[in-house]
Amino acid sequence: MISVKPKIGIIACSGEKLVEGTLTRVATRIVVEKLRPFTTTIICQPLFMAGDINHKGGGSEREFAKKHKTITIEGCDEECGKVAVERYSAPATATIYVKEIMKQHPEFIPNSPQDIGDDGMKLAEIIAQEVAKKVDELYKSQ
Amino acid sequence: MSEEKVYIIPCSGIGKAFGGMCREAAYIVVNELAPEKAAIECLPLIVKGKKEVIDALKANKIITIDGCTAKCAYTDVRVAVREPDAVFMSTDIVKKHRDLKPEKDILILGENAKVLSRKLAENIAEKVEDLYIE
Repeated sequence: MISVKPKIGIIACSGEKLVEGTLTRVATRIVVEKLRPFTTTIICQPLFMAGDINHKGGGSEREFAKKHKTITIEGCDEECGKVAVERYSAPATATIYVKEIMKQHPEFIPNSPQDIGDDGMKLAEIIAQEVAKKVDELYKSQ
Repeated sequence: MSEEKVYIIPCSGIGKAFGGMCREAAYIVVNELAPEKAAIECLPLIVKGKKEVIDALKANKIITIDGCTAKCAYTDVRVAVREPDAVFMSTDIVKKHRDLKPEKDILILGENAKVLSRKLAENIAEKVEDLYIE
């Protein structure tokens, strides 16, 4: 008998003002679309606050993060993803810091929040690979 | 707050193209159509409650752009700051231009989604002008 394990929730900081925020969004899409489509799901950070207020299904974001393992991807030191998950649900299981990965790859310089460019896409792929590694670790540990 | 701006707060949605259209429209407004009058701010920072950001928003006009019925940008701004001065939905521009069906691509917006985002941005820029003069 095959047992289906719970998916891992991925929460991108999504900061619209910073290029790092765009990198978190693109990396998240790469993880859930291409790298780990069967073991991950996206959770929107802003829906943690808005969810229970005026959207019939929104509260499920909070419930999901209470009962499932989550990974936040942070674009800056504010750690908006981590803070929101902990405030409205439970502490994130793991956190990936985009700036740390960028420091390891100074050869790639993303363009802008609106268009991260080819270098930005390469960085997003690298970030996504790091997230996928963490997903595998958490998924297997369940 | 030393500089008066109209703050544009797009939704952070990454599950459908409509969220991407919100952000694309916001970037067109702040980078091309009204760079002197409009500024973008991170919605997640508002959710977090960053004091400097909340204070800046309270002292200025605010426009939210949402991509789905959850209306995260509108709701979070209303809860954390106050009622926005204007609200837009990317889905409304889609309804007005049935001939331009947005593609499902999320990572990189399709051509129709980009055209729709620009039309949305033009509407938002007009509102920025109105709010800035008030």
